[in-house]
Amino acid sequence: MRIAMIGTGYVGLVSGACFSEFGVDVVCVDKDESKIKTLEAGGLPIYEPGLDNLVVANRRAGRLSFTTDLAGAVAEADAVFIAVGTPSRRGDGHADLSYVFAAAEEIAKALDGYTVVVTKSTVPVGTGREVKHIIANTRPDADFDVVSNPEFLREGSAINDFMRPDRVVIGIEGHRARELMRELYRPLYLAETPIIFTSLETAELIKYAANTFLATKITFINEVADLCERVGANVHDVAKGIGLDGRIGRKFLHPGPGYGGSCFPKDTLALVRTAQEAGAPLRIIETVVDINAKRKRAMADVVIETCGGSVAGKTIAILGLTFKPNTDDMRDAPSLDIVPALIEAGASVRAFDPVGMEEAKKLLSGVDWGDDAYATMQDADALVIVTEWNEFRALDLERVKRLLKSPILVDLRNIYEPREIVEQGFTYRSIGRPYPPRRD
Amino acid sequence: MRVAMIGTGYVGLVSGACFSEFGIDVVCVDTDADKIARLNRGETPIFEPGLDALIEANTKSGRLSFTTDLAAAVKAAEAVFIAVGTPSRRGDGHADLSYVYEAARQIAAALDGYTVVVTKSTVPVGTGQEVARVIREARPDADFDVASNPEFLREGSAIEDFMRPDRVVIGTESERAQAVMSELYRPLFLRETPIVWTALQTAELIKYAANTFLATKITFINEVADLCERVGANVQEVAKAIGLDGRIGAKFLHPGPGYGGSCFPKDTRALVATARDAGAPLTIIEQVVAVNDARKKQMAEKIIDACGGSVAGKTIAVLGLTFKPNTDDMRESASLDIVPALQDAGATVRAYDPEGMDEAKDLLNGLVWCADAYDAMTGADAVAILTEWNQFRALDLGRMKGLLKEPLMIDLRNIYNPAEMAAAGFRYTSVGRPENGI
Repeated sequence: MRIAMIGTGYVGLVSGACFSEFGVDVVCVDKDESKIKTLEAGGLPIYEPGLDNLVVANRRAGRLSFTTDLAGAVAEADAVFIAVGTPSRRGDGHADLSYVFAAAEEIAKALDGYTVVVTKSTVPVGTGREVKHIIANTRPDADFDVVSNPEFLREGSAINDFMRPDRVVIGIEGHRARELMRELYRPLYLAETPIIFTSLETAELIKYAANTFLATKITFINEVADLCERVGANVHDVAKGIGLDGRIGRKFLHPGPGYGGSCFPKDTLALVRTAQEAGAPLRIIETVVDINAKRKRAMADVVIETCGGSVAGKTIAILGLTFKPNTDDMRDAPSLDIVPALIEAGASVRAFDPVGMEEAKKLLSGVDWGDDAYATMQDADALVIVTEWNEFRALDLERVKRLLKSPILVDLRNIYEPREIVEQGFTYRSIGRPYPPRRD
Repeated sequence: MRVAMIGTGYVGLVSGACFSEFGIDVVCVDTDADKIARLNRGETPIFEPGLDALIEANTKSGRLSFTTDLAAAVKAAEAVFIAVGTPSRRGDGHADLSYVYEAARQIAAALDGYTVVVTKSTVPVGTGQEVARVIREARPDADFDVASNPEFLREGSAIEDFMRPDRVVIGTESERAQAVMSELYRPLFLRETPIVWTALQTAELIKYAANTFLATKITFINEVADLCERVGANVQEVAKAIGLDGRIGAKFLHPGPGYGGSCFPKDTRALVATARDAGAPLTIIEQVVAVNDARKKQMAEKIIDACGGSVAGKTIAVLGLTFKPNTDDMRESASLDIVPALQDAGATVRAYDPEGMDEAKDLLNGLVWCADAYDAMTGADAVAILTEWNQFRALDLGRMKGLLKEPLMIDLRNIYNPAEMAAAGFRYTSVGRPENGI
């Protein structure tokens, strides 16, 4: 079995490397010559735990290679995966499918023998059918089927998610494509992973439905956290109490500064647009999108409030910038709202992130970049934890107190225990855990 | 251990009977002498599978009794549970707490020795503290603590839910009260049921947060179902695939005509009101309430559309009226919106429900009440399934075709397979699934 993976972004690289680990011959294709050169030289353009080893091992085994030659890769492949980017289009929130359609056209020209063309990128409902039209129009003689096989990878645990998924979704028409996809996923099939064969449209919708539901779950607990602050309840106990309910589940009930990243903001917005155009607006998701955008901005106000109502002339130390730990991904990270709002309010911001600073430097200006957590907080008026990297979970609090001008800790990820921090003499603010608890 | 259970409604009776099954002496109290007389004669005023047998066995063994004498029951009890009704107050959606506070005053007057007063009814955040204040004011000398112990019972499986819960939530920071509550729940404790010990306000909020989350989950899939209809996707496959995601879970992803019942509509509205008052509006839940209210009304439109745009002069057979199967509960059932809207549109409605018709007769007028599903369909232009009672899941399609004027089914619970219905010669509309059954 040979496959071509078009696009060496996050999804393409992880999927390509993992398929090659399954024993499939994988050629990853990208137009970007310097990126392919980097990959051939053993470099990786993204940070993902375990990916480097996987790439090295499978290149050595001869099952994984990189090229700019799309036509050559496609001609030899039994299956071609489209894993190019689908950014939000500026203005209207629609996924920008120009890369997908351009790839489809190029693939069409190179098809040789029966080939399954698979959309792996997250694409709106109807895209698969459009890809099919493009290929059929470009190459009326081509022998092919189109399949939707959405990825459910989480940055930071993507390899494991690919190798041990909750389920594989395959949207398909036609028996030949089904057999080929089954063969491709045979190692998972043998491990009794549920494989859902469904229609193209349904498979495309599944990916969005899953992500928008999770975004809703996060936003639900974020709103409950705000209510907890007002009524003197503890959101962690609420999350535990409801998460033990088997119909709810405990995952994605961690309150925080609002969701970010490359998926939830983009996918919620795209599904909202798809639904509006289809004449079946998803009002809950529309509300979720709106609340989350406001929430990220409101987090700067939480910091300002905890600093006594003003940060003008003060220095704020920020720990963590990426949208979550174990990634260098800064896309739609809450820090992108919080940091500029603090600077606008007159604060000097000093920031540190273990992996994300290079990306962050492209997106944030006017920030003083720290070398590590402690250097960053030296003489700052307040310390704000924005991303829960493990190295921020066990800071030496005595040292923190000595370094800070005033012992103010704003913990937007609830990684400290309120009672302990307050007893150490800190002014402490977290999300949905007022302390000392309010008593009427 | 002796317990007084104040209120013999749904929660009071089930909780009282289940605690007595644990081996605890339980006295159930109600001001309604008639109700108590019926209970003492062995009649159960509500329909809940297994409850009759449980009450009978524990009454016989002497651990469960019924009385109108609140004072005596409270005096002898180590724990007093408040399980009175908390209906939605007309107009503002707030829970009406007058029964709770009245119970608190009466309990206060009768307290004798250290007693834990437990709110079992679903009560808004802050009610427990107010109950404590009411009791302290009435009886400054009383030795008591207030705890919150919300119930998570589902009608139709309430006994099982009490005996094998996912978790027990107990809100109190008093060690003495914790000891009493531990003793009460010892059988569950021994079975390693997770017990969430927390503060009073947090326990109160947990009940609402759980119910409003589930209402959100249902409403989410209902909206996705509508989208599926527009884009030709199948909501059942969407639900299956997202439900396999361990972070989402398979439950409560069944699309339908909108949630009803005694809990979700009331609890969502109450939490919305609480949050607004607290200055932290829960915007998602507000949207869920609005979407669900609108949905129930839209379901009549769906039936009318399936009938070709008009039901004037037509007869519609309606199967199922209760808000879900295995209950006689009609509260906020979608049928209460759908049936009158069909009548307003000029339809005659022939209806049948296995358990709910007595209740339904108080709430719906002008229907033809039928003896069974087939009777309801006789001479009708279409059949609409509103509640998924088991007896409606395997109807004889051939017989139906003979009885109906038109072979047309609107299945608001997705209990038939579109492809099979098409093969049987029916025109078939369900929720969020392509009509040809891909």
